[in-house]
Amino acid sequence: MMASSIKIRSQRLDDYTEIKLLISHPMENGRNRDPLTNELIPAHFIRELLLQLNGASIIRADLGGSMSKNPFFSFRLKNSRGGDSLRVSWVDNLDQTDSAEHNLD
Amino acid sequence: MQRRNFIRHLISLTLIPPFLQPRLAHAAWPSEHFAGGDFASRFEQLFGGQTIIDSPEINITLPDIAENGAVVPITIDSELERIERLYIWVEKNPTPLAAEFELSPEIAVFLTARIKMAESCNVVVIARQGQRLLRNQQWVKVMQGGCGTG
Repeated sequence: MMASSIKIRSQRLDDYTEIKLLISHPMENGRNRDPLTNELIPAHFIRELLLQLNGASIIRADLGGSMSKNPFFSFRLKNSRGGDSLRVSWVDNLDQTDSAEHNLD
Repeated sequence: MQRRNFIRHLISLTLIPPFLQPRLAHAAWPSEHFAGGDFASRFEQLFGGQTIIDSPEINITLPDIAENGAVVPITIDSELERIERLYIWVEKNPTPLAAEFELSPEIAVFLTARIKMAESCNVVVIARQGQRLLRNQQWVKVMQGGCGTG
């Protein structure tokens, strides 16, 4: 079983809960060349990122090849209760996908 | 793809808030928004004909000088309410639109991300607040644009 590509951290602060995501992904935009072969590296990037809180969508992002390799995001949730369930999922341009769940701090 | 986009636009015309709209999982990536090309024409394609208001209330935090264009951290935040969408554009990238975010009301207007920058240029953030489009931008000097970035 492969390790999840998604790391989720949350921290409850006075006015909000901060959510941090780190996703392992090459985010190749199709314009880089392999340094050894000089061949173009095919585009391979996450196109959609979805965050769901207790099953309801709270953030949806459409991404392009201008996002950095191993995307990192942080967001702030206004109101959350300890134990709320956060689900993060992505799908890339090759239709590969991954998801992870996390109980909020 | 055109039919898919047509359906997407049809859905967006309804009065149902975006977060209550049923979405086919992973069927809605708007390829035309992320097409390559020059910034002005891509921007016009998305926002043409709509009034855009320059707003310092959309705060952008970016380095003045980015040593490495492959990883440029950006923070966007605002005290404004009802910001439903945020768009991040990098003017000189071959793919000018980096990302668009749909935020539900439970989410504060705050996000950080990391973007690629091919060369020194403006990073333009557009925020949709109801029918209004708000814009702020910041110039970033890029010391080393990653090869093929953007």
